Amino acid sequence: MILFLGLVVLLYGLDMSLASEESFEELKACLASPLAKLVIWGLLSALLYHLVAGIRHLFMDAGVGETLEGGKLGSKIVIAVAVVLIVLAGVWVW
Amino acid sequence: MVTNVTNFSRSGLYDWMAQRVSAVVLAAYFIFLLGFVLLNPGLTYADWHGLFSHNAMRIFSLLALLATVVHAWVGMWTISTDYLTPMAFGRWATVLRFFFQAACGVLQFVLFVWGVQILWGI
Repeated sequence: MILFLGLVVLLYGLDMSLASEESFEELKACLASPLAKLVIWGLLSALLYHLVAGIRHLFMDAGVGETLEGGKLGSKIVIAVAVVLIVLAGVWVW
Repeated sequence: MVTNVTNFSRSGLYDWMAQRVSAVVLAAYFIFLLGFVLLNPGLTYADWHGLFSHNAMRIFSLLALLATVVHAWVGMWTISTDYLTPMAFGRWATVLRFFFQAACGVLQFVLFVWGVQILWGI
C-alpha cells in the first residue's frame, strides 16, 4: 500500500526534476527538509525490503528454501539483509 | 472461494508469471537508477535531463512503467483478495473488492499516462 501510494510521490518528483532547471533546484531544496528525507527514506526502506523479500520468493520458486527450516532461515536472512540496506539508505539520505 | 474474475488474466499461473517477470524488470530498473545516482554525486540538471533524453532510457523507463502497472495490479489484487473477503465483509465483499480494484486500476492508468507524458514531454 505504501509503495503503491509512494508511486504518486515519486512520479511527481520525476516530473519536477525533468521539467526545468528551476523545478530541479526547487526539488533539491525541498528534499533537503527533514520531513521530505523521512518520506524518501521510508519509501526507500519499503522498496528495499520488498526487493529483498521478492528475491527470496524467486529463490523459493526455484525450489530453494521451501522446507520449514529453509523457510525460517530465509526469513531471517531477508530481515538481516533488509535491515542492513535500510540503515545504509538512512545514512545516504541523512 | 474468491471469485477470480477480477484478477489480471484468465489464469492464476499467468498472473504468477507476469508478477515475476515484471518484478525482475523493475529490480533491474531500480538497481540501474540507484547505481546512476550513487555514481554521480552532486548530480546536475544537465546530467539528469541528459539521461532521460536518451531513447534507450525512455524505452527502458516505459518498460518499467508497464511492469509497474502489471506488478501493482497483481499485487493489489492479491492484497484485496487477502483482506476484502466474505469472512470480513460478508456478502458485500465482492462488491467492495470490485470497487477497490477499479480504483486501483484507474490510479494505475493515470500514473501510466502521467509517466509517459513526463518521459516524452521533456
